[in-house]
Amino acid sequence: MRWFGFGFNAFAQVCVQEKSDKEDSSSSAGEVKVNVPIELKNHVGRSKIRASWSRRASLFLDEEMSVRLAGFCAFISNESFSPVMVDTRGCRDAIISETHLTLAFPDRIECWDLQSKEKVPSWSMEILTQSQNSDVNLPLVPGGYISSKTPIFHSLSSHLQAKSLALGGEHAILLTAAGAVYTWGQGSHGELGHGGLIPEEEPRTVEALWGMSMRSVAAGGWHSVCIGDGGDLYVWGWNESGQLGLPSRGLRKASQQKNEPQAGELCGSVSACLGEERHEEVYISIQAFPALVDVSPSCEIRTVSCGSRHTAAVTTTGCLYTWGWGEYGQLGHQTTTSLDEPKCVEFFRNESLHVVDVVCGPWNTFTAAVKKEVLAT
Amino acid sequence: MAFLWSKISATLPPNEEQFPLQFSEKVALSVVEMLKRARLQLYGETTRASRILNAQIILDYSWERLNTGTWRHVDKEWRRVYSYGCLFKAAALCRENPSEEEIRQAIRTCDMGLLMGAAIMGNILQVIVCILQSEIRKLAEEEDNHENIEAKKRKIASPHVGLIKEELAVPRIKCPSLESFNANHLLPLKPVILEGIIDHWPALNKHPWSVEYLRSVAGCRTVPVEVGSRYTDEDWSQTLLTVNEFIDKYILNKVQVSENGYKAVGYLAQHQLFDQIPELREDIRIPDYCCLGEGDEDDITVNAWFGPKGTVSPLHQDPQQNFLAQVVGSKYIRLYSPEDTEKLYPHESQLLHNTSQVEVENPDAERFPEFVKAPYLECVLQPGDVLFIPVKHWHYVRSLEVSFSVSFWWS
Repeated sequence: MRWFGFGFNAFAQVCVQEKSDKEDSSSSAGEVKVNVPIELKNHVGRSKIRASWSRRASLFLDEEMSVRLAGFCAFISNESFSPVMVDTRGCRDAIISETHLTLAFPDRIECWDLQSKEKVPSWSMEILTQSQNSDVNLPLVPGGYISSKTPIFHSLSSHLQAKSLALGGEHAILLTAAGAVYTWGQGSHGELGHGGLIPEEEPRTVEALWGMSMRSVAAGGWHSVCIGDGGDLYVWGWNESGQLGLPSRGLRKASQQKNEPQAGELCGSVSACLGEERHEEVYISIQAFPALVDVSPSCEIRTVSCGSRHTAAVTTTGCLYTWGWGEYGQLGHQTTTSLDEPKCVEFFRNESLHVVDVVCGPWNTFTAAVKKEVLAT
Repeated sequence: MAFLWSKISATLPPNEEQFPLQFSEKVALSVVEMLKRARLQLYGETTRASRILNAQIILDYSWERLNTGTWRHVDKEWRRVYSYGCLFKAAALCRENPSEEEIRQAIRTCDMGLLMGAAIMGNILQVIVCILQSEIRKLAEEEDNHENIEAKKRKIASPHVGLIKEELAVPRIKCPSLESFNANHLLPLKPVILEGIIDHWPALNKHPWSVEYLRSVAGCRTVPVEVGSRYTDEDWSQTLLTVNEFIDKYILNKVQVSENGYKAVGYLAQHQLFDQIPELREDIRIPDYCCLGEGDEDDITVNAWFGPKGTVSPLHQDPQQNFLAQVVGSKYIRLYSPEDTEKLYPHESQLLHNTSQVEVENPDAERFPEFVKAPYLECVLQPGDVLFIPVKHWHYVRSLEVSFSVSFWWS
């Protein structure tokens, strides 16, 4: 399995690019914005990837020193891709935030402050032997879940039967064993999916999905996504950069302004308004109830991940689709344009690669893929 | 144009070592690293594109923090980071022979920092925007063909005679003493129109406010505008426009703005314009009567309300005393006492609990039967008038023509 990355790279968390001798504008942007997938080096064997804004954490499940970090590594080491200075043997899962690295071991969970030089975790909990057999599914832990801000641990009622949990910028989305979806947190951008903008302190079921069984959930900065048992994709929340895959007014205005470079500041914005009003299109800024998104005709979605303002989905046929905010190349289409419609990342098709997994950092995207011939055997 | 950069450069610390970048632990070290990179570039040699890119990274990250959680709870540190991003971006735009468009972009960037950020380095964004504005004024061409809507002193014969019922008129009083205002109006919380108390405002005599004057003083500045007939409507929204764009689109109707046949109303409402544009602040004065309150002068919120004919503020109440000073144009205002709140059917939601559900000039008698029984006072506020709206007093406002009012919220 090979991993590829694209998007925000100001801390070399996707890849280290060679600095060219002459200072020209294209080279500096090229280092920071990787807009086409680049293969991650040194990624052999079974691995998982987690990403924060400034770092990437790679978990090598078969190795001794199993967690390595790339990106902003102030207190870890000066190397661009270094092992964490703690014992990570046997680590099964990890979560990385801007300030903390959380590691899940068979017998314990540890939360390390990446900004301190402490040799002990800032928080930890033991896992009782009975739960050791089941796979830990961070951020879920026995009895609840953990976040990267204090309080670290939050309890969850066992009657919810939590199967997986995604933490967004200001909300949480939970999938139960029965396939139901619960949300809580801030709601001002419609990200809870209950039809309004009010916050919820306690998990509340997303009634619009009642009766349909969901198999996977994901959360972005202000949006939520889930996959139905049949491979359908449902989205809700903020659509300011097209991250829901629904028509976005902001994107249309921006593209109109780009097309009228001669117009002065005043005329540009005024005529952009006129253009949009004549067409009388419906734009979605906030989608407060789940909406079905047709990612690709007659394709089932296998897995989905959200960055802060973009979304990436893998189909069962091995294609990667991305949409939403593209300013840092995180959509992988060789541009920095944002999109409000799902678009296939041609790179993988061109390289005969079958995409099997996707993990998004806030402003970048990492994909796992295998050669198509490998699949056939 | 190199002269412009030297003026801006002079407002900055002389070198990197003296450029402060102090933040609480709320700001992750990775973000501080980006800020340090931008600072390094400010004093070092690199490409314009690279400077702008780094500034944009800082802006994009802090923008996300500003939009997370409720605005009230956004940590001030993130607003400071946002302002630093604006500073680095504006500096990058103006460094190498900027075009007029780039200077306008830099002004807009400073305004975004003033609107959404928090003051840094002695409010440096304000200092820089003033330098950039003078530069634009030097480059601007003269335009004579604007309609002149001036502030005039109150005429003896009001053109809106007959609009209000005499027996329901808000009482008027000319230049009352502090004691008599206190005793007759403030303590008993009784509305009154004070005449003659702002005649000395430069806005009404030395620099009479007009559309032309506002353009010259603030034309290129970015301000928040409310679009839609009233804030309780579904299609109400807020946008950012320069004062020039706002005037052209919504005041002078140079552009036909029709959505389904209706002209959208734009209102520069409830905005602390005078913090953003100090020249306008010089044209007004805080009413002396505010000293009768318990709060400090620094705690008084001064808002600008500038819009075309037909702007409506639905019936609502505010938690502070209000002096509403009329400078340009006129407004119809109706007042209801807080004692009659039950007849005014406030919204139940917490967000709109201070707002009535009733459309004052077209009430739905079936849904709101008690409304017609609620007693009220009404007036037409003219240039030079100041309306005292006691705390929690319900008020409804509709502009009768192009109007500019200034409100003072005090306690």
